[in-house]
Amino acid sequence: MSQHALRRLITGVFNVQRSETYRSALRVGSCVKINKRCRSDEVKGSEEFDVSILEFLVCPLSKKQLRYDEKSNELINEELGIAYPIIDGIPNMIPQDARMIQKMETSKNPSES
Amino acid sequence: MAASIRTLALRTFCDSTRNIQHVSRSRVKHSCCPAWVTVCRGYSDGTEGKSTHFGFETVPEEEKAERVYKVFESVAGKYDVMNDAMSLGIHRLWKDSLLHVMNPQPGLRLLDTAGGTGDISFRFLEYTRSMHERQQRQKARSSQTPSWRDLADHYATNQTGLPPSRAVVCDINKEMLKVGKQRAEKAGISTGLSWVVGDAEELPFDDDQFDIYTIAFGIRNVTHIEQVLQEAVRVLKPGGRFLCLEFSKVSNPVLARLYDAYSFQMIPVLGEVIAGDWKSYQYLVESIRKFPDQETFKEMIEDAGFFCVQYFNLTGGIVSIHSGFKL
Repeated sequence: MSQHALRRLITGVFNVQRSETYRSALRVGSCVKINKRCRSDEVKGSEEFDVSILEFLVCPLSKKQLRYDEKSNELINEELGIAYPIIDGIPNMIPQDARMIQKMETSKNPSES
Repeated sequence: MAASIRTLALRTFCDSTRNIQHVSRSRVKHSCCPAWVTVCRGYSDGTEGKSTHFGFETVPEEEKAERVYKVFESVAGKYDVMNDAMSLGIHRLWKDSLLHVMNPQPGLRLLDTAGGTGDISFRFLEYTRSMHERQQRQKARSSQTPSWRDLADHYATNQTGLPPSRAVVCDINKEMLKVGKQRAEKAGISTGLSWVVGDAEELPFDDDQFDIYTIAFGIRNVTHIEQVLQEAVRVLKPGGRFLCLEFSKVSNPVLARLYDAYSFQMIPVLGEVIAGDWKSYQYLVESIRKFPDQETFKEMIEDAGFFCVQYFNLTGGIVSIHSGFKL
């Protein structure tokens, strides 16, 4: 009886030890995996801009089509020389938040309604 | 508590008389009574700029948009929780009623202005999805032995399985849209949903683009309601529908009194307890009182160029749905 109990105790301890190492290994592995996933998800999910809205999205001031600039992540109105920023995949179409593109000769600020 | 009610009542009375005198001053340039003139001068701020209401306060028009922005920026995080608490969950029924009135067919394009956290858009996509599924089932049931042509068509068209219903959520406030986007990601709604930061008075959309335009609990916060209505006419396709869900005037006097008591006593307190913001919810309650009543708003919609304008009162007139068509 005592031998049996002793054997069970020892195997139990070993099991615990084994599961501990297993668990810690898993944790490290999952951490790495989760980190990777989070980072890639963040990059993909929040910063992705849906280009299909450019079908009907226009500049609120001139109502003309916009050009999507991938490098600076902005929507550019060539005519007026303004660029609307895209933050977290959501385009900001408020004229006051738009940036003037410097190469326009007439430096007229985009006015609000 | 009684004292605060009294001061509040006095303030509202003073404000209402101030508004009346403001209106009469604009009509009667040189009033005969000097006392009246001095009183008016005392009340008017003396500037030439136009002013509008921010709750019961009178503010210059330029300021209103900024102050409304700040209100919603501060409540964005707790907006949905507060809606449930203040309306005891009834706002969900109101929004469901809006969808039932809308009765959208699959494949339509919706512009949800002042969409904020996206409640209407989510419901729209859910509704069209389930309607599409029901249509598919009915089609399958009715056509027991489809012909080869039907089968070929079925395989050709149903590749993605869904017609392209699209919902675009437009709001002037980035914070509200951020909260909405997180909610969408959590609920797993991604196809057919777009988010845009834009001003309802100057929409960044081309003419004749949308089948349905909705503005739910947003139009009382804009500075120029007429401009919003004009923009709505512009972006809607001919045959498109304008729908507005907004707080309105309660006709029943008993209900009105209960509603006023609840609004002015409970809601700012809830706002303080849950969202830590008394003033924003005080603004909310006051802005409801300043919004025109059902008939006046109906006339405004007709003036903008909509036809077949009608309204449906919900919960005794606390909320009403106005609908109009662009023809």
